[in-house]
Amino acid sequence: MANEPSPATPGSLSPGNSHAMTMLDKYRINWRLTAALMAVSVLGLFTLPPLMVFALIEVMIFALFASALNLWLSYAGILSFGHAVYFGLGAYGVAITIERFGWPMPLGILAGPVVSALFALVFGFLCVQLTTIYMAMLTLACAEVTYAVAFQWFDFTGGDSGISGHVPAMLGLSPSWYGVVVLVVVTLSILALWRIVHSPLGLTIRAVGQNTIRAGAMGHGRKKVQLISFVIMGFMSGIAGTLFGVFHGNVFPDYMGVGYTIDGLVMVLLGGLHSFGAGIYGAIVYKTLDNLVSHFFLYWQLVIGVILLAVVLFSPSGIAGIVERIKERMRGGSDV
Amino acid sequence: MPETPAAPPGETVLTVSGLRKSFGRFMALSGVDLKVRAGEVRAIIGPNGAGKTTLINVLGGQLAGDAGRVVFAGKNLMNKYPHQVSAMGVGRTFQISSTFRRMTVYENMLSAHNAASGRWFSLSTALLRKMHGAVMEDLESIHLAELAGRVVDDISHGDRKRLEFGMVLASRPRLLLLDEPTAGMGLQERHDLIDLMLREIRERKITLLFVEHDIDIVFRAADYITVMANGKVFAEGLPGEISDNQEVQEIYLGVK
Repeated sequence: MANEPSPATPGSLSPGNSHAMTMLDKYRINWRLTAALMAVSVLGLFTLPPLMVFALIEVMIFALFASALNLWLSYAGILSFGHAVYFGLGAYGVAITIERFGWPMPLGILAGPVVSALFALVFGFLCVQLTTIYMAMLTLACAEVTYAVAFQWFDFTGGDSGISGHVPAMLGLSPSWYGVVVLVVVTLSILALWRIVHSPLGLTIRAVGQNTIRAGAMGHGRKKVQLISFVIMGFMSGIAGTLFGVFHGNVFPDYMGVGYTIDGLVMVLLGGLHSFGAGIYGAIVYKTLDNLVSHFFLYWQLVIGVILLAVVLFSPSGIAGIVERIKERMRGGSDV
Repeated sequence: MPETPAAPPGETVLTVSGLRKSFGRFMALSGVDLKVRAGEVRAIIGPNGAGKTTLINVLGGQLAGDAGRVVFAGKNLMNKYPHQVSAMGVGRTFQISSTFRRMTVYENMLSAHNAASGRWFSLSTALLRKMHGAVMEDLESIHLAELAGRVVDDISHGDRKRLEFGMVLASRPRLLLLDEPTAGMGLQERHDLIDLMLREIRERKITLLFVEHDIDIVFRAADYITVMANGKVFAEGLPGEISDNQEVQEIYLGVK
Protein backbone atom coordinates (compact mmCIF):
# COMPACT_ATOMS: atom_id res chain seq x y z
CA MET A 1 0.00 0.00 0.00
CA ALA A 2 3.04 2.26 -0.12
CA ASN A 3 3.35 4.79 -2.86
CA GLU A 4 5.85 2.87 -4.92
CA PRO A 5 6.36 -0.75 -5.79
CA SER A 6 9.80 -1.79 -4.63
CA PRO A 7 12.09 -2.48 -7.56
CA ALA A 8 14.38 -5.41 -6.79
CA THR A 9 17.57 -3.37 -6.77
CA PRO A 10 18.31 0.10 -8.01
CA GLY A 11 19.28 0.20 -11.64
CA SER A 12 18.08 -3.33 -12.32
CA LEU A 13 15.07 -2.21 -14.36
CA SER A 14 15.41 -4.13 -17.58
CA PRO A 15 15.24 -2.13 -20.79
CA GLY A 16 12.19 -4.16 -21.76
CA ASN A 17 10.34 -2.68 -18.79
CA SER A 18 9.42 0.47 -20.68
CA HIS A 19 9.70 3.80 -18.93
CA ALA A 20 6.08 4.44 -19.79
CA MET A 21 4.50 1.40 -18.18
CA THR A 22 6.03 2.30 -14.82
CA MET A 23 3.71 5.33 -14.87
CA LEU A 24 0.75 3.22 -13.86
CA ASP A 25 2.70 0.69 -11.80
CA LYS A 26 2.39 2.83 -8.72
CA TYR A 27 -1.38 2.42 -8.98
CA ARG A 28 -1.10 -1.28 -8.23
CA ILE A 29 -1.74 -2.70 -4.78
CA ASN A 30 1.50 -3.61 -3.03
CA TRP A 31 0.52 -7.08 -1.88
CA ARG A 32 3.91 -7.78 -0.33
CA LEU A 33 3.65 -4.78 1.97
CA THR A 34 0.02 -5.60 2.76
CA ALA A 35 0.91 -9.16 3.72
CA ALA A 36 3.88 -8.00 5.79
CA LEU A 37 1.79 -5.48 7.73
CA MET A 38 -0.91 -8.06 8.36
CA ALA A 39 1.61 -10.63 9.55
CA VAL A 40 3.19 -8.16 11.97
CA SER A 41 -0.25 -7.19 13.26
CA VAL A 42 -1.30 -10.81 13.84
CA LEU A 43 1.97 -11.47 15.61
CA GLY A 44 1.33 -8.44 17.80
CA LEU A 45 -2.24 -9.48 18.57
CA PHE A 46 -1.18 -12.86 19.91
CA THR A 47 2.08 -12.00 21.67
CA LEU A 48 1.65 -8.55 23.19
CA PRO A 49 0.30 -8.00 26.72
CA PRO A 50 -3.49 -7.33 26.85
CA LEU A 51 -3.13 -3.58 27.34
CA MET A 52 -1.13 -3.31 24.12
CA VAL A 53 -3.50 -5.60 22.25
CA PHE A 54 -6.29 -3.12 23.03
CA ALA A 55 -4.05 -0.29 21.84
CA LEU A 56 -3.30 -2.17 18.62
CA ILE A 57 -6.99 -2.71 17.90
CA GLU A 58 -7.63 0.99 18.38
CA VAL A 59 -4.74 1.81 16.06
CA MET A 60 -6.30 -0.36 13.35
CA ILE A 61 -9.79 1.10 13.73
CA PHE A 62 -8.51 4.67 13.67
CA ALA A 63 -6.23 3.91 10.73
CA LEU A 64 -9.41 3.25 8.76
CA PHE A 65 -11.22 6.31 10.12
CA ALA A 66 -8.26 8.58 9.36
CA SER A 67 -7.75 7.02 5.91
CA ALA A 68 -11.39 7.73 5.10
CA LEU A 69 -10.95 11.32 6.27
CA ASN A 70 -7.78 11.50 4.20
CA LEU A 71 -9.87 10.87 1.08
CA TRP A 72 -11.50 14.22 1.79
CA LEU A 73 -8.46 16.18 2.90
CA SER A 74 -5.81 14.88 0.51
CA TYR A 75 -7.84 14.00 -2.57
CA ALA A 76 -11.35 15.44 -2.71
CA GLY A 77 -10.41 18.91 -1.48
CA ILE A 78 -13.04 18.81 1.25
CA LEU A 79 -12.10 20.47 4.52
CA SER A 80 -14.22 19.20 7.38
CA PHE A 81 -14.87 19.97 11.03
CA GLY A 82 -17.59 17.38 11.40
CA HIS A 83 -16.44 13.99 10.09
CA ALA A 84 -16.63 12.11 13.41
CA VAL A 85 -20.41 12.15 13.01
CA TYR A 86 -20.10 9.40 10.39
CA PHE A 87 -17.86 7.41 12.72
CA GLY A 88 -20.36 7.75 15.57
CA LEU A 89 -23.35 7.02 13.34
CA GLY A 90 -21.81 3.66 12.47
CA ALA A 91 -21.92 2.71 16.13
CA TYR A 92 -25.38 4.25 16.61
CA GLY A 93 -26.69 2.48 13.51
CA VAL A 94 -25.81 -0.86 15.07
CA ALA A 95 -27.19 -0.01 18.51
CA ILE A 96 -30.46 1.52 17.35
CA THR A 97 -31.38 -1.08 14.75
CA ILE A 98 -30.77 -3.85 17.28
CA GLU A 99 -32.00 -2.22 20.48
CA ARG A 100 -34.90 -0.10 19.18
CA PHE A 101 -35.97 -1.87 15.98
CA GLY A 102 -35.26 -5.38 17.20
CA TRP A 103 -33.14 -6.34 14.20
CA PRO A 104 -31.06 -9.50 14.55
CA MET A 105 -27.50 -8.74 15.59
CA PRO A 106 -25.65 -9.61 12.32
CA LEU A 107 -28.07 -7.47 10.32
CA GLY A 108 -27.74 -4.60 12.79
CA ILE A 109 -23.97 -4.71 12.51
CA LEU A 110 -24.18 -4.55 8.72
CA ALA A 111 -26.59 -1.62 9.04
CA GLY A 112 -23.98 0.54 10.84
CA PRO A 113 -21.95 1.64 7.79
CA VAL A 114 -25.11 1.96 5.68
CA VAL A 115 -26.65 4.39 8.18
CA SER A 116 -23.45 6.47 8.03
CA ALA A 117 -23.47 6.48 4.24
CA LEU A 118 -27.12 7.59 4.14
CA PHE A 119 -26.45 10.47 6.51
CA ALA A 120 -23.38 11.38 4.43
CA LEU A 121 -25.61 11.48 1.36
CA VAL A 122 -28.07 13.88 2.99
CA PHE A 123 -25.49 16.08 4.76
CA GLY A 124 -23.24 15.92 1.70
CA PHE A 125 -26.03 17.20 -0.51
CA LEU A 126 -26.28 20.26 1.73
CA CYS A 127 -22.54 20.76 2.16
CA VAL A 128 -21.54 20.62 -1.53
CA GLN A 129 -23.77 23.61 -2.22
CA LEU A 130 -20.95 25.61 -0.59
CA THR A 131 -17.18 25.53 -1.04
CA THR A 132 -13.97 25.78 1.01
CA ILE A 133 -14.25 27.12 4.55
CA TYR A 134 -18.00 27.69 4.20
CA MET A 135 -18.47 24.05 3.38
CA ALA A 136 -16.30 23.15 6.37
CA MET A 137 -18.52 25.21 8.67
CA LEU A 138 -21.58 23.44 7.31
CA THR A 139 -20.01 20.03 8.00
CA LEU A 140 -19.58 21.22 11.59
CA ALA A 141 -23.20 22.39 11.76
CA CYS A 142 -24.51 19.05 10.47
CA ALA A 143 -22.38 17.19 13.01
CA GLU A 144 -23.42 19.43 15.91
CA VAL A 145 -27.11 19.00 15.14
CA THR A 146 -26.72 15.23 15.04
CA TYR A 147 -24.69 15.28 18.25
CA ALA A 148 -27.37 17.36 19.98
CA VAL A 149 -30.07 14.92 18.90
CA ALA A 150 -28.03 11.94 20.12
CA PHE A 151 -27.35 13.74 23.39
CA GLN A 152 -30.90 14.85 24.14
CA TRP A 153 -33.37 12.43 22.56
CA PHE A 154 -33.13 10.17 25.56
CA ASP A 155 -35.89 7.70 24.61
CA PHE A 156 -34.40 6.90 21.24
CA THR A 157 -30.63 7.36 21.50
CA GLY A 158 -30.16 6.87 25.21
CA GLY A 159 -29.03 10.47 25.62
CA ASP A 160 -25.69 11.08 27.27
CA SER A 161 -25.64 7.61 28.81
CA GLY A 162 -25.76 6.11 25.34
CA ILE A 163 -26.74 2.54 24.58
CA SER A 164 -24.94 -0.56 25.75
CA GLY A 165 -25.51 -4.27 25.97
CA HIS A 166 -26.98 -4.54 22.45
CA VAL A 167 -23.95 -6.54 21.38
CA PRO A 168 -21.48 -8.42 23.55
CA ALA A 169 -18.22 -6.45 23.66
CA MET A 170 -15.84 -7.80 21.02
CA LEU A 171 -18.65 -10.16 19.94
CA GLY A 172 -17.69 -12.28 22.94
CA LEU A 173 -14.36 -13.13 21.35
CA SER A 174 -10.99 -12.84 23.02
CA PRO A 175 -9.21 -9.52 22.36
CA SER A 176 -6.73 -11.28 20.08
CA TRP A 177 -9.40 -12.86 17.92
CA TYR A 178 -11.53 -9.73 17.79
CA GLY A 179 -8.34 -8.04 16.69
CA VAL A 180 -8.10 -10.49 13.80
CA VAL A 181 -11.67 -9.61 12.75
CA VAL A 182 -10.81 -5.90 12.90
CA LEU A 183 -7.57 -6.47 11.00
CA VAL A 184 -9.35 -8.26 8.15
CA VAL A 185 -12.16 -5.71 7.86
CA VAL A 186 -9.80 -2.72 8.11
CA THR A 187 -7.37 -4.18 5.58
CA LEU A 188 -10.13 -4.89 3.06
CA SER A 189 -11.56 -1.41 3.56
CA ILE A 190 -8.22 0.36 3.13
CA LEU A 191 -7.47 -1.73 0.04
CA ALA A 192 -10.87 -0.70 -1.31
CA LEU A 193 -9.98 2.94 -0.63
CA TRP A 194 -6.68 2.42 -2.48
CA ARG A 195 -8.52 0.98 -5.45
CA ILE A 196 -11.01 3.84 -5.46
CA VAL A 197 -8.29 6.50 -5.30
CA HIS A 198 -6.45 4.84 -8.21
CA SER A 199 -9.49 4.19 -10.40
CA PRO A 200 -11.06 6.49 -13.00
CA LEU A 201 -13.41 7.71 -10.25
CA GLY A 202 -10.45 8.40 -7.96
CA LEU A 203 -8.68 10.35 -10.68
CA THR A 204 -11.84 12.40 -11.09
CA ILE A 205 -12.06 13.02 -7.34
CA ARG A 206 -8.41 14.12 -7.28
CA ALA A 207 -8.88 16.35 -10.32
CA VAL A 208 -11.83 18.16 -8.76
CA GLY A 209 -10.01 18.38 -5.42
CA GLN A 210 -6.84 19.86 -6.90
CA ASN A 211 -8.25 22.30 -9.41
CA THR A 212 -12.01 22.78 -9.56
CA ILE A 213 -11.75 25.23 -12.45
CA ARG A 214 -9.69 23.00 -14.70
CA ALA A 215 -11.80 19.97 -13.77
CA GLY A 216 -14.94 21.93 -14.59
CA ALA A 217 -13.57 23.02 -17.96
CA MET A 218 -12.80 19.34 -18.64
CA GLY A 219 -16.40 18.40 -17.97
CA HIS A 220 -16.52 17.42 -14.30
CA GLY A 221 -19.38 18.84 -12.22
CA ARG A 222 -17.90 19.60 -8.79
CA LYS A 223 -21.01 19.03 -6.70
CA LYS A 224 -21.70 15.57 -8.06
CA VAL A 225 -18.10 14.41 -7.63
CA GLN A 226 -17.75 15.81 -4.11
CA LEU A 227 -21.08 14.26 -3.11
CA ILE A 228 -19.72 10.86 -4.18
CA SER A 229 -16.67 11.53 -1.97
CA PHE A 230 -19.02 12.29 0.93
CA VAL A 231 -20.78 8.96 0.60
CA ILE A 232 -17.57 6.94 0.24
CA MET A 233 -16.03 8.68 3.25
CA GLY A 234 -19.23 8.27 5.25
CA PHE A 235 -19.44 4.57 4.50
CA MET A 236 -15.78 3.90 5.36
CA SER A 237 -15.96 5.94 8.59
CA GLY A 238 -19.13 4.05 9.38
CA ILE A 239 -17.24 0.77 9.13
CA ALA A 240 -14.62 2.12 11.55
CA GLY A 241 -17.33 3.35 13.93
CA THR A 242 -19.15 0.03 13.77
CA LEU A 243 -15.95 -1.84 14.67
CA PHE A 244 -15.35 0.61 17.52
CA GLY A 245 -18.88 0.33 18.93
CA VAL A 246 -18.78 -3.46 18.81
CA PHE A 247 -15.28 -3.40 20.36
CA HIS A 248 -16.65 -1.69 23.46
CA GLY A 249 -20.18 -3.08 23.22
CA ASN A 250 -21.63 0.40 23.63
CA VAL A 251 -22.14 3.79 22.04
CA PHE A 252 -22.02 7.34 23.42
CA PRO A 253 -22.63 10.76 21.84
CA ASP A 254 -18.90 11.42 22.23
CA TYR A 255 -18.22 8.93 19.44
CA MET A 256 -19.45 11.60 17.03
CA GLY A 257 -18.19 14.60 18.97
CA VAL A 258 -15.67 17.31 18.25
CA GLY A 259 -13.00 15.36 20.14
CA TYR A 260 -12.92 12.54 17.59
CA THR A 261 -13.16 15.04 14.76
CA ILE A 262 -9.99 16.74 15.97
CA ASP A 263 -8.29 13.39 16.59
CA GLY A 264 -8.90 12.52 12.95
CA LEU A 265 -7.55 15.83 11.66
CA VAL A 266 -4.41 15.57 13.81
CA MET A 267 -3.80 12.01 12.58
CA VAL A 268 -3.98 13.01 8.91
CA LEU A 269 -1.80 16.11 9.38
CA LEU A 270 0.71 14.12 11.40
CA GLY A 271 0.70 11.37 8.78
CA GLY A 272 1.18 13.81 5.94
CA LEU A 273 -1.32 15.47 3.62
CA HIS A 274 -1.42 14.36 -0.02
CA SER A 275 -0.19 10.88 0.75
CA PHE A 276 -2.29 7.74 0.80
CA GLY A 277 -0.57 6.42 3.93
CA ALA A 278 -1.34 9.56 5.97
CA GLY A 279 -4.20 8.00 7.92
CA ILE A 280 -2.28 4.84 8.70
CA TYR A 281 0.92 6.56 9.81
CA GLY A 282 -1.01 9.15 11.78
CA ALA A 283 -3.17 6.59 13.59
CA ILE A 284 -0.15 4.50 14.55
CA VAL A 285 1.74 7.43 16.09
CA TYR A 286 -1.23 9.22 17.63
CA LYS A 287 -3.00 6.22 19.12
CA THR A 288 0.23 4.70 20.37
CA LEU A 289 1.04 7.88 22.24
CA ASP A 290 -2.56 8.15 23.44
CA ASN A 291 -2.62 4.62 24.81
CA LEU A 292 0.89 4.14 26.03
CA VAL A 293 2.40 7.49 26.97
CA SER A 294 -0.75 8.47 28.84
CA HIS A 295 -0.01 5.71 31.34
CA PHE A 296 3.40 7.11 32.21
CA PHE A 297 2.90 10.76 31.57
CA LEU A 298 -0.25 12.64 32.50
CA TYR A 299 0.24 15.36 29.92
CA TRP A 300 0.55 13.12 26.88
CA GLN A 301 -1.31 15.63 24.76
CA LEU A 302 1.58 17.99 25.39
CA VAL A 303 3.81 15.40 23.73
CA ILE A 304 1.43 15.22 20.75
CA GLY A 305 1.40 19.01 20.55
CA VAL A 306 5.20 19.22 20.48
CA ILE A 307 5.41 16.46 17.85
CA LEU A 308 2.77 18.12 15.70
CA LEU A 309 4.62 21.42 15.99
CA ALA A 310 7.85 19.74 14.93
CA VAL A 311 6.16 18.06 11.97
CA VAL A 312 4.53 21.25 10.75
CA LEU A 313 7.78 23.18 11.07
CA PHE A 314 10.31 20.64 9.84
CA SER A 315 8.39 18.17 7.67
CA PRO A 316 5.17 19.68 6.33
CA SER A 317 4.59 16.50 4.37
CA GLY A 318 4.38 14.68 7.69
CA ILE A 319 5.52 11.19 8.51
CA ALA A 320 4.80 10.12 4.93
CA GLY A 321 7.30 12.73 3.76
CA ILE A 322 9.94 11.38 6.13
CA VAL A 323 9.29 7.80 4.99
CA GLU A 324 9.53 8.94 1.37
CA ARG A 325 12.88 10.61 1.98
CA ILE A 326 14.27 7.51 3.70
CA LYS A 327 13.11 5.33 0.79
CA GLU A 328 14.73 7.67 -1.69
CA ARG A 329 18.02 7.62 0.20
CA MET A 330 17.97 3.82 0.36
CA ARG A 331 17.31 3.67 -3.36
CA GLY A 332 20.21 6.07 -3.91
CA GLY A 333 17.91 8.53 -5.62
CA SER A 334 18.03 6.43 -8.80
CA ASP A 335 14.32 6.48 -9.47
CA VAL A 336 11.95 9.32 -10.22
CA MET B 1 -8.93 12.87 -36.52
CA PRO B 2 -12.09 14.28 -34.84
CA GLU B 3 -15.01 11.89 -34.83
CA THR B 4 -17.51 14.56 -35.73
CA PRO B 5 -16.47 16.41 -38.91
CA ALA B 6 -16.28 20.16 -38.49
CA ALA B 7 -18.89 22.25 -40.27
CA PRO B 8 -17.91 23.33 -43.77
CA PRO B 9 -15.68 26.40 -43.68
CA GLY B 10 -17.53 29.64 -43.99
CA GLU B 11 -20.56 28.54 -42.02
CA THR B 12 -21.07 30.47 -38.80
CA VAL B 13 -20.67 28.23 -35.73
CA LEU B 14 -20.54 30.77 -32.94
CA THR B 15 -22.89 33.73 -32.70
CA VAL B 16 -22.71 36.21 -29.84
CA SER B 17 -25.27 38.99 -29.76
CA GLY B 18 -25.84 41.83 -27.34
CA LEU B 19 -23.76 40.19 -24.63
CA ARG B 20 -23.54 42.21 -21.43
CA LYS B 21 -21.73 41.69 -18.16
CA SER B 22 -21.04 44.12 -15.37
CA PHE B 23 -19.13 43.87 -12.11
CA GLY B 24 -20.93 46.23 -9.76
CA ARG B 25 -21.03 49.54 -11.62
CA PHE B 26 -18.25 48.62 -14.01
CA MET B 27 -19.59 47.38 -17.33
CA ALA B 28 -17.03 44.88 -18.63
CA LEU B 29 -19.12 43.84 -21.64
CA SER B 30 -21.57 46.41 -22.95
CA GLY B 31 -23.23 44.60 -25.83
CA VAL B 32 -20.80 42.36 -27.72
CA ASP B 33 -21.79 41.13 -31.18
CA LEU B 34 -19.58 38.52 -32.77
CA LYS B 35 -19.81 35.84 -35.44
CA VAL B 36 -17.13 33.18 -35.86
CA ARG B 37 -16.98 30.82 -38.84
CA ALA B 38 -16.13 27.14 -38.63
CA GLY B 39 -12.46 26.34 -38.92
CA GLU B 40 -11.48 29.97 -38.48
CA VAL B 41 -8.57 31.22 -36.37
CA ARG B 42 -9.91 34.37 -34.78
CA ALA B 43 -7.85 36.71 -32.64
CA ILE B 44 -9.36 39.12 -30.16
CA ILE B 45 -7.19 42.10 -29.35
CA GLY B 46 -7.73 45.32 -27.50
CA PRO B 47 -6.31 47.46 -24.70
CA ASN B 48 -6.39 46.35 -21.06
CA GLY B 49 -9.89 46.43 -19.65
CA ALA B 50 -11.51 46.05 -23.06
CA GLY B 51 -13.38 42.96 -21.82
CA LYS B 52 -11.48 40.24 -23.70
CA THR B 53 -10.97 37.86 -20.80
CA THR B 54 -14.47 38.53 -19.49
CA LEU B 55 -15.84 37.52 -22.88
CA ILE B 56 -13.88 34.26 -22.80
CA ASN B 57 -15.04 33.59 -19.23
CA VAL B 58 -18.70 34.11 -20.10
CA LEU B 59 -18.38 31.88 -23.17
CA GLY B 60 -16.64 29.19 -21.10
CA GLY B 61 -19.24 29.32 -18.32
CA GLN B 62 -16.79 30.55 -15.66
CA LEU B 63 -18.84 33.76 -15.39
CA ALA B 64 -22.57 34.29 -15.90
CA GLY B 65 -23.55 36.98 -18.40
CA ASP B 66 -26.23 39.56 -17.54
CA ALA B 67 -27.95 39.72 -20.91
CA GLY B 68 -27.55 38.67 -24.51
CA ARG B 69 -27.39 35.50 -26.54
CA VAL B 70 -24.66 32.98 -27.27
CA VAL B 71 -25.35 30.23 -29.77
CA PHE B 72 -22.82 27.56 -30.63
CA ALA B 73 -23.54 25.04 -33.42
CA GLY B 74 -27.23 25.81 -33.21
CA LYS B 75 -27.42 25.34 -29.44
CA ASN B 76 -27.74 27.85 -26.65
CA LEU B 77 -24.43 28.34 -24.87
CA MET B 78 -25.47 31.26 -22.69
CA ASN B 79 -24.99 30.82 -18.94
CA LYS B 80 -24.27 27.12 -18.90
CA TYR B 81 -22.05 25.55 -16.21
CA PRO B 82 -18.44 24.97 -17.32
CA HIS B 83 -18.92 21.20 -17.43
CA GLN B 84 -21.95 21.66 -19.69
CA VAL B 85 -20.00 23.98 -21.97
CA SER B 86 -17.27 21.34 -22.12
CA ALA B 87 -19.81 18.65 -22.98
CA MET B 88 -20.94 20.75 -25.95
CA GLY B 89 -17.47 20.56 -27.46
CA VAL B 90 -15.94 23.80 -26.24
CA GLY B 91 -12.50 23.62 -24.62
CA ARG B 92 -10.46 26.39 -23.07
CA THR B 93 -7.17 27.36 -21.51
CA PHE B 94 -6.63 30.08 -18.94
CA GLN B 95 -4.48 33.19 -18.79
CA ILE B 96 -2.55 31.60 -15.95
CA SER B 97 -2.21 27.99 -17.04
CA SER B 98 -4.56 25.77 -15.12
CA THR B 99 -3.37 22.22 -14.50
CA PHE B 100 -3.23 19.72 -11.64
CA ARG B 101 -0.07 20.89 -9.96
CA ARG B 102 0.45 17.99 -7.56
CA MET B 103 -0.06 15.32 -10.21
CA THR B 104 2.58 14.18 -12.67
CA VAL B 105 2.51 15.32 -16.29
CA TYR B 106 1.32 11.84 -17.17
CA GLU B 107 -1.52 11.91 -14.65
CA ASN B 108 -2.63 15.31 -15.93
CA MET B 109 -3.01 13.95 -19.44
CA LEU B 110 -4.57 10.77 -18.05
CA SER B 111 -7.14 12.94 -16.22
CA ALA B 112 -7.99 14.68 -19.47
CA HIS B 113 -8.58 11.37 -21.22
CA ASN B 114 -10.48 10.10 -18.21
CA ALA B 115 -12.79 13.10 -18.32
CA ALA B 116 -13.28 12.74 -22.06
CA SER B 117 -14.00 9.00 -21.82
CA GLY B 118 -17.44 9.56 -20.31
CA ARG B 119 -16.65 6.86 -17.74
CA TRP B 120 -15.08 9.03 -15.07
CA PHE B 121 -17.12 7.28 -12.36
CA SER B 122 -15.78 3.82 -13.15
CA LEU B 123 -13.83 1.77 -10.61
CA SER B 124 -11.96 -0.23 -13.24
CA THR B 125 -8.20 0.36 -13.28
CA ALA B 126 -8.07 -1.56 -16.56
CA LEU B 127 -9.82 1.40 -18.14
CA LEU B 128 -6.89 3.63 -17.19
CA ARG B 129 -4.36 1.15 -18.55
CA LYS B 130 -6.25 1.14 -21.86
CA MET B 131 -5.78 4.90 -22.11
CA HIS B 132 -2.02 4.56 -21.76
CA GLY B 133 -1.21 4.48 -25.46
CA ALA B 134 -3.29 7.53 -26.31
CA VAL B 135 -1.92 9.42 -23.31
CA MET B 136 1.70 8.84 -24.36
CA GLU B 137 0.86 9.72 -27.97
CA ASP B 138 -0.67 13.02 -26.91
CA LEU B 139 2.33 13.78 -24.69
CA GLU B 140 4.63 13.08 -27.65
CA SER B 141 2.70 15.47 -29.86
CA ILE B 142 3.23 18.33 -27.40
CA HIS B 143 6.84 17.27 -26.75
CA LEU B 144 6.28 16.36 -23.11
CA ALA B 145 6.76 12.57 -23.19
CA GLU B 146 10.22 12.96 -21.67
CA LEU B 147 8.74 14.73 -18.66
CA ALA B 148 5.86 12.26 -18.16
CA GLY B 149 6.98 11.26 -14.66
CA ARG B 150 7.61 14.78 -13.38
CA VAL B 151 5.26 16.52 -10.97
CA VAL B 152 3.71 19.51 -12.74
CA ASP B 153 4.79 21.85 -9.95
CA ASP B 154 8.39 21.14 -10.97
CA ILE B 155 8.16 21.81 -14.72
CA SER B 156 8.66 25.17 -16.44
CA HIS B 157 5.99 27.74 -17.15
CA GLY B 158 6.16 27.08 -20.89
CA ASP B 159 5.86 23.33 -20.41
CA ARG B 160 2.77 23.86 -18.27
CA LYS B 161 1.17 26.02 -20.97
CA ARG B 162 1.84 23.27 -23.52
CA LEU B 163 0.48 20.63 -21.17
CA GLU B 164 -2.71 22.59 -20.60
CA PHE B 165 -3.20 22.96 -24.33
CA GLY B 166 -2.62 19.24 -24.87
CA MET B 167 -5.11 18.36 -22.12
CA VAL B 168 -7.77 20.51 -23.74
CA LEU B 169 -7.15 18.84 -27.12
CA ALA B 170 -7.68 15.44 -25.50
CA SER B 171 -11.36 16.22 -25.07
CA ARG B 172 -11.59 16.69 -28.88
CA PRO B 173 -13.20 20.13 -28.80
CA ARG B 174 -14.80 21.72 -31.86
CA LEU B 175 -14.27 25.21 -30.54
CA LEU B 176 -11.23 26.25 -28.55
CA LEU B 177 -11.01 29.36 -26.38
CA LEU B 178 -7.44 30.34 -25.53
CA ASP B 179 -6.84 33.21 -23.15
CA GLU B 180 -3.36 34.61 -23.85
CA PRO B 181 -1.84 31.27 -24.84
CA THR B 182 1.72 32.64 -24.88
CA ALA B 183 1.65 35.05 -21.93
CA GLY B 184 4.83 35.24 -19.90
CA MET B 185 7.01 33.23 -22.28
CA GLY B 186 10.24 34.06 -24.09
CA LEU B 187 10.18 35.20 -27.71
CA GLN B 188 11.38 31.98 -29.37
CA GLU B 189 9.24 29.89 -27.02
CA ARG B 190 6.15 31.91 -27.99
CA HIS B 191 6.62 31.30 -31.67
CA ASP B 192 7.27 27.60 -31.17
CA LEU B 193 4.17 27.25 -29.04
CA ILE B 194 1.85 29.12 -31.38
CA ASP B 195 3.16 27.13 -34.35
CA LEU B 196 2.53 23.90 -32.48
CA MET B 197 -0.96 25.04 -31.55
CA LEU B 198 -1.81 26.09 -35.10
CA ARG B 199 -0.56 22.80 -36.50
CA GLU B 200 -2.76 20.78 -34.15
CA ILE B 201 -5.78 23.04 -34.60
CA ARG B 202 -5.62 23.00 -38.42
CA GLU B 203 -5.06 19.26 -38.48
CA ARG B 204 -8.15 18.67 -36.34
CA LYS B 205 -10.20 21.42 -38.02
CA ILE B 206 -10.91 23.14 -34.73
CA THR B 207 -12.37 26.62 -34.64
CA LEU B 208 -10.17 28.88 -32.53
CA LEU B 209 -10.95 32.04 -30.65
CA PHE B 210 -7.93 33.47 -28.87
CA VAL B 211 -7.06 36.53 -26.86
CA GLU B 212 -3.51 37.76 -27.30
CA HIS B 213 -1.48 40.83 -26.41
CA ASP B 214 1.53 40.02 -28.56
CA ILE B 215 0.80 41.66 -31.91
CA ASP B 216 3.49 39.57 -33.61
CA ILE B 217 1.70 36.39 -32.59
CA VAL B 218 -1.67 37.79 -33.63
CA PHE B 219 -0.56 38.60 -37.17
CA ARG B 220 1.32 35.33 -37.42
CA ALA B 221 -1.69 33.23 -36.51
CA ALA B 222 -5.03 34.92 -37.11
CA ASP B 223 -7.24 34.58 -40.18
CA TYR B 224 -9.46 37.34 -38.90
CA ILE B 225 -9.14 39.86 -36.10
CA THR B 226 -11.68 41.39 -33.75
CA VAL B 227 -10.65 44.54 -31.90
CA MET B 228 -12.43 45.20 -28.61
CA ALA B 229 -12.58 48.45 -26.66
CA ASN B 230 -14.72 49.46 -23.69
CA GLY B 231 -16.64 46.21 -23.63
CA LYS B 232 -17.66 46.34 -27.29
CA VAL B 233 -16.43 45.19 -30.66
CA PHE B 234 -14.62 48.21 -32.03
CA ALA B 235 -13.46 46.90 -35.40
CA GLU B 236 -13.19 43.67 -37.30
CA GLY B 237 -11.32 42.62 -40.38
CA LEU B 238 -8.55 40.71 -42.07
CA PRO B 239 -5.09 41.23 -40.55
CA GLY B 240 -4.18 43.62 -43.37
CA GLU B 241 -7.29 45.70 -42.85
CA ILE B 242 -6.74 45.93 -39.11
CA SER B 243 -3.11 46.99 -39.41
CA ASP B 244 -4.16 49.72 -41.85
CA ASN B 245 -7.07 50.96 -39.75
CA GLN B 246 -6.25 54.44 -38.42
CA GLU B 247 -8.65 54.30 -35.48
CA VAL B 248 -7.34 50.90 -34.32
CA GLN B 249 -3.82 52.22 -34.48
CA GLU B 250 -4.81 55.15 -32.30
CA ILE B 251 -6.60 53.20 -29.57
CA TYR B 252 -4.44 50.14 -29.54
CA LEU B 253 -1.24 50.19 -31.47
CA GLY B 254 -0.39 53.56 -29.94
CA VAL B 255 0.34 55.26 -33.27
CA LYS B 256 -0.72 58.90 -33.40
